[in-house]
Amino acid sequence: MLFSSITFLYFFLPCAVLFYFMVPQKGRNFILFVMSLLFYAWGEPVYVLLMLMQIVISFVLVLLMDRFREERAGRAFYMLSVLLPFAALFYFKYFHFFMENLFGIRIKTAALPIGISFYTFQIASYCIDVWHGRVKRQENFITYAAYVTLFPQLVAGPIVRYSEIEQTLVKGMDSSELYGSLEQGIVRFAAGLGKKVLIANVIGEFAAEVLALEQRGIALSWAYAIAVSLQIYFDFSGYSDMAIGLGNIFGFHFPENFRYPFISKSISEFWRRWHITLGAWFRDYVYIPLGGNRVRMIRWIFNIFAVWFLTGLWHGAGWNFILWGLMFAVLLVMEKGCSRLSAGADISFPRYIAGFFRHLYVAAVIIISFLIFQNDTLTGAFADIQALAGCGSRIGHAAVKPEMDAYLLRNRIGILCIGLIGSTPVPLWLWQRAQERLNGIRFGAAAVRLLRVLFTAVLLLLCTAYLIDGSFNPFLYFRF
Amino acid sequence: MRKGRQKHRVIILTLLFYMAGIVLVFTLCSSKTISESERRRLAQKPKLTAASLTDKSFMEDMETYLLDHFPFRDGLRRIKAYFAYDVLRQKENNDIYVVDGYASKLEYPLDGASVRRLAGKMTSLKHQYFPNQNTWYAMVPDKNYFLAEQNGYPSIDYTQMTGILMQELEDSGQNWNDMDISSSLDIGDYYRTDTHWRQEQLFDTAAKIGEALGVGEYLKLQKADFEEHAIENFYGVYYGQAALPMKPDTIIYLTDETIEKASVWNLEENILDGKVTMSEEKGAVLKPVYRLDKLTEEMSLDKYDVFLGGASSIQVIQSPLAATDKRLIIFRDSYTSSLAPLFLEAYREITLVDLRYISSDLIGEYVDFEGADILFLYSTAVVNHAAVLK
Repeated sequence: MLFSSITFLYFFLPCAVLFYFMVPQKGRNFILFVMSLLFYAWGEPVYVLLMLMQIVISFVLVLLMDRFREERAGRAFYMLSVLLPFAALFYFKYFHFFMENLFGIRIKTAALPIGISFYTFQIASYCIDVWHGRVKRQENFITYAAYVTLFPQLVAGPIVRYSEIEQTLVKGMDSSELYGSLEQGIVRFAAGLGKKVLIANVIGEFAAEVLALEQRGIALSWAYAIAVSLQIYFDFSGYSDMAIGLGNIFGFHFPENFRYPFISKSISEFWRRWHITLGAWFRDYVYIPLGGNRVRMIRWIFNIFAVWFLTGLWHGAGWNFILWGLMFAVLLVMEKGCSRLSAGADISFPRYIAGFFRHLYVAAVIIISFLIFQNDTLTGAFADIQALAGCGSRIGHAAVKPEMDAYLLRNRIGILCIGLIGSTPVPLWLWQRAQERLNGIRFGAAAVRLLRVLFTAVLLLLCTAYLIDGSFNPFLYFRF
Repeated sequence: MRKGRQKHRVIILTLLFYMAGIVLVFTLCSSKTISESERRRLAQKPKLTAASLTDKSFMEDMETYLLDHFPFRDGLRRIKAYFAYDVLRQKENNDIYVVDGYASKLEYPLDGASVRRLAGKMTSLKHQYFPNQNTWYAMVPDKNYFLAEQNGYPSIDYTQMTGILMQELEDSGQNWNDMDISSSLDIGDYYRTDTHWRQEQLFDTAAKIGEALGVGEYLKLQKADFEEHAIENFYGVYYGQAALPMKPDTIIYLTDETIEKASVWNLEENILDGKVTMSEEKGAVLKPVYRLDKLTEEMSLDKYDVFLGGASSIQVIQSPLAATDKRLIIFRDSYTSSLAPLFLEAYREITLVDLRYISSDLIGEYVDFEGADILFLYSTAVVNHAAVLK
């Protein structure tokens, strides 16, 4: 089930909230578990059994691991508890890719279960954390199952670790926070829904319109590339916002997943702001165990490449994703190298000039990286990148109609501007300034509350309108 | 603390009432079966079975059902349209734009391969069924022809489209006669909310075609020759798509004695258990030229179906009062439904073939091409999407 669907918004979510708060604290994890299973089964009626099986197996293995911790069997159970979820992930997501690329054998595997990349990482992190004593083993199966299946973050993250929500799962929601958390959750969810439905989807329409053209001009190629980056950002961060908001509604505090990544001045900063929970997962469970940066340079470079190869592969079984990941590895190594080289050098640029060029560099890299990310084939990605330089198969010198390019740009200029501004902290900054000013005057606080209510209601109404219109399906008497 | 709680309650209660209200209205409102603005039957509640659960069709159908029956659906679509136009400054909504009160659907770019495909279809039909007969063709320009370019909207290159078709037909070595009807039309000849042209505005066009076919002298094409009948509140196909408030059109259909005496046979209404009763055979179902029975929701969701009853693979119009014994066969789309009655003064029999609904290989079983004039009359939108022709 998608958050941005009528089924979820108007039927599933109200029921889930109602049942959750109707039952006493003790029964809430059970409600969450059952509702999460229903949520998942709505989209994956068969694979819900696979997920359940993985939950049961990992629960039992962790139990055995904990019981035989001091014996050799304990380590074996630990290894199994980590490897089995990854084996399932490998089979469903990567087996066909490796068979084809290593052995030239084309095989047909089953469809990829929704959210398997996310819940595999959650199960693995729990097993690893219990083994290393960072968290206590959860003895209640329902509580553990509720952690893995928790529907707000089940299918698209953020990747939540057990330690981050353990307290709410075990002790329940702090009643003094109930209303504040609910309100915060509702506003955050509405904002995320707006990002997804009103911005990402509409920018996606523009990208599809451009793709439908056989050829295009250089200006439209740049607009397309920017649109792709914005679409991916608003789509993914919108979903994360919805997840965090839903978490708040149920009393959980999920970690932030995006912090205005496009304002970064370096790629390493970008990855501290983009899909933060994934970056943190790879840092804590792969990079640091490999030795991190406290090793010789060659080993450190290897660690960086290993982590970014895996990060790329996590996003999908395709060469474009691998290339995408490795591109960041190269850039991160270069950045580190440059910062070491420049550490002793006496180079003084005015800060704003340096800042401008740093932003420019990050923007160019990000735009190119998402063209690689978005394309199904490397050929398509290279063609899109070439188009930015005004050459390649996408650019049509004779076939392009400038008026067509101009129309497409004019038609979507509004949403592109909203997307560009919305991807920076400017709107939040403006809201905070307005809030400060309003709070200083009589009835100002009431006005702020009213504005928040209006903002949420209008967003929900508009999103509903877009979802309804998206289903418009006229009988056209053959298009006419 | 208590004040803090109250503060938070405002937004929580607002949302609660909003969602509860929607669900309540949804539950209480009687389930509609038809959407007038979208001119389609709405999805019905899906049945829950083991098979529909495992193949996910139940979930998909349920979402469709909820979307179709959502309270204030048309109003919400209108809100979306206003937001797209006025806030996002889009120049279209769902590919529909409105200029001077006329709604039109964007049609671009030109698909040269489609035009060549149409030419191939035309030449193969001529080769198969009427190699030595006089054959004409014309393209009906869509509303974009009059509205798009001059208002900054992209449109197909009509000159190039015509050029490709002419060249392809010329290269076939067959004898084809082209006619240009675009000069006899302007935007006022089309419905504001629909794609089609208006029958009462087609005298010049019909005269032009009649002259080219050599029957111009038999046609009566003066307003005074006909009696006008109005059908009010015609919301065309673009009305629903635009989701903006637009005044409805009025369909005016023309009658005279010749049209009133004419009868229409169509293939779909004359097939029973695989057996076809042809128009001249006993027991054939014959209908009038204007199907007023199609004005009810049960029969049709499109009032334009009043012209010859709407979509049909093969139709034969018999005109006993025609001035000649000539026969005309038109390969056509829906535009011809309102034009064909104007030729009944000149032709004893007009056969309309719609290749969107019947394969080219089958038409020989129902249509006698011998001695008939042949006309291909397709709108530019069909020319640009010729893959729909079988």
